[in-house]
Amino acid sequence: MKPQITGMLVAPAAALMFGVFVLPFLFLLVLSFWSQVPGSLGLDTSFTLANYVRIFGDSYYLGGLWTTLWLSGLVTLICLVLALPLSRWIVLRAGRAKGLIIGLSILPLVCGALLPTLGLVNLLSPLGFINGALKSMGVIQSSLPLLGNITGVTIGLVQAFLPLMILPLITTMERLSQDYEKAATSLGARPVVVWQRILLPLLLPGIVAGSLLVFCASLTAFVTPQVLGQGKVVTFASLAYQQAALVLDWPFASALAIVMLIFLTLAGVLGALVTRNFGRVA
Amino acid sequence: MKRIACFAAVAVGGLFACLPAMAQDYSGHTLTVGTWGGDIERLLREHVAGPLEAETGAKVEFLLGGSGDRLSKMAAERNNPTMDVTFQNIYEAPLALKDGLVVAPDAAAVPNAADVWPGMNEGCYAMSLVGLGIAYSKSLFPEEPEWADLWQPQFRGMMAYAPYPSSEGDGMLAVAARVAGADEHDPDAAFAKLAELGAPKLTYSSLDEVLSLMDAGEIAAAPMISGYVISNLANYEGIGFVFPKDPGPVLVRDMVCQVANSPEPELAQMFIDLAIGIDTQTAYAKELNFGPTNSKVALTEAEAANVINTPEEVASLLQMDWPYVIEQRSAWTDRWNKEILGQ
Repeated sequence: MKPQITGMLVAPAAALMFGVFVLPFLFLLVLSFWSQVPGSLGLDTSFTLANYVRIFGDSYYLGGLWTTLWLSGLVTLICLVLALPLSRWIVLRAGRAKGLIIGLSILPLVCGALLPTLGLVNLLSPLGFINGALKSMGVIQSSLPLLGNITGVTIGLVQAFLPLMILPLITTMERLSQDYEKAATSLGARPVVVWQRILLPLLLPGIVAGSLLVFCASLTAFVTPQVLGQGKVVTFASLAYQQAALVLDWPFASALAIVMLIFLTLAGVLGALVTRNFGRVA
Repeated sequence: MKRIACFAAVAVGGLFACLPAMAQDYSGHTLTVGTWGGDIERLLREHVAGPLEAETGAKVEFLLGGSGDRLSKMAAERNNPTMDVTFQNIYEAPLALKDGLVVAPDAAAVPNAADVWPGMNEGCYAMSLVGLGIAYSKSLFPEEPEWADLWQPQFRGMMAYAPYPSSEGDGMLAVAARVAGADEHDPDAAFAKLAELGAPKLTYSSLDEVLSLMDAGEIAAAPMISGYVISNLANYEGIGFVFPKDPGPVLVRDMVCQVANSPEPELAQMFIDLAIGIDTQTAYAKELNFGPTNSKVALTEAEAANVINTPEEVASLLQMDWPYVIEQRSAWTDRWNKEILGQ
C-alpha cells in the first residue's frame, strides 16, 4: 500500500486520539503544575511543584499509593492463579460449551463496573447472603467483615478483572501445540515439571499481557474500591475522585492522575522488558 | 358590558405583565437543567418541566448527577455554558456567585423570589430547607438521642457518615466542635472531638445501604439530612430520626441557580419561578418532607410536623460559617481522611 494511502487511512484515528487523548493529557499535565485559589473555583496559573511535593511529602498520600500498588499486584496474582487452570480447562475440555463459557467469563467486563459491584454489596454485607447463610448454619455468630476492607475490594476487583486475564491466556493456549507437553511427559516429566519448564515459559506472552491488563485496570479502578471499600480503603483513584469532584481542587487531582499515569507507564515498560527477555530465553 | 370588558382587559393585561415571557413561543428551544435524580427529578418533571413545556413549547432536558459535578461543569464551561439551570447546595451557591458562574437572584426576573423568606436567597434562589439531625437505631437508643449521646463509649466505631466533603460531614464537625465547647472556627477541637467517636463503620454511598444496617442495629447512628430520612422511615421500623436541641440541627439548604451566560436565560428564569412557586414547594414538603422556602405555602399541622417551614424554626437551627468552611476545604479533607477515617 502506498504511504500516502496508509497515511490517509490512519489520519482519522490519529486525529481522534490527538483530540480526545493527547490534548486533554497535555492540559492535565499543565494543570498539575498550577494551584487552586483557596475558597474559590479560580486557578492560580503560576508554575508550582506544590502538588507533587504534597503527594510525595505526605505519608498519607504515599500510603495510598503503596496500597494501590500492592492491591493491584495482589489482584493480578489471584487472577493469574484462577485464570490459568480455568483457561486451560476451557481450551482443552470445554468442547462445544467453549463459546458459552467464554461468554459467561467475560460477562463482568461487559456489565460495567457499577452493577456487579452493587450485587457484591448484597452478597458481602453484614446482612448479605454469605453472612446470612453462615449465621443460619451456625458457622458464625456475628457477621464477618467482608466490606470496608481490603478483602472486599480484592474480591470485587478479581471478579471485575478476571476476564482480562482469561482472554489473553486462552488466545495463547489455543496457539500452543500440545506436542511439547506430550513430548515432555513421554520423557518422564512430572506434571509440575511440565508446567514449570514447558507450559509457563510458553504461556509467558499471555501471562504478561493479562497481568498488565489486570494490574493497570486495578491501579485505576474507582467504582469497586469506592463502593466495596466504603471509604476505608484508600486508593489513588478514590483520592483523585475526592479531590476532583468533592474538594474541587483540580490541579491536585491532576497531579494525582499524572502520578498514576507514570506508574501505568512503568508497568507497561516492565511488561515489555519481561516479554523481550523471555523472547531471548525461548 | 363595558365594565366586564374593562375587567377582562385588566385581567389579561395583568397576566401578561406578571408572565411577560410566558406568552412567547419557545418551540424548538431546549432548557437544560442539572439536578439530582430520584424523587427530586420526578417532582421537578411533574410540577415544573411539564407546565413549562406546555406553556412555552420548549423542551426541558435534565442532566442528573451530584452538585459537585455540576459545579465542575459550570467552571469548565465558563465561557460557553450548556446548562441553563443548576441545583446546588447551601455552600456551593455563594461560591458559584462569587466566581461569576451564576446570576444573582433577581425578583424582577423571577417574581416568586419576592415570596421567599427574607435573607434566604444567598447566592442563588432558596429551593428547600432541611436540617442535619440524627438518624438512629431504636434498638440501641431507647430514647431520642441528643448529639452528646453519640459519644457514649458503647457507640464508638458504630457511626456512619456520608463521603467527605459534604454538608453532612461539615455539619457534624460543627456539632462536634460545639459539644467540645467551641465552634467550627476551632478545627482542632472539632476533629479531636469527632475522632472520639472512632472510625466510622460505614461511609455510605446510598441511603438504602446505611438505613438497612441501622435498622438491623449494625450501625448506631448517623448524622443525616432530614427530608430523605423522614421520607424513608415508613420502610424501616427500627430507625428513628430526631432534630436535637443542643445544639439544634444544622441548617442545610438546597438552592436553584440561573447559570451565567446560559443559552436560554428567559426559560431559565421561568423554570426557577415555577420551582420556587407555591405548587412545587408544597409538593416538596408533602412528598419529600423538604421545607418550603416560599412564605406563602400553607401546610396542615400534620404536613408541617416533619418539615422546617418558618423563619422561627430556621432561627433555631445551627447556621455555619460556610465561607470559612469552604476556605478550609482542602485542609479539612486531609484531616478527615487521616484523623477520622484513618484511625
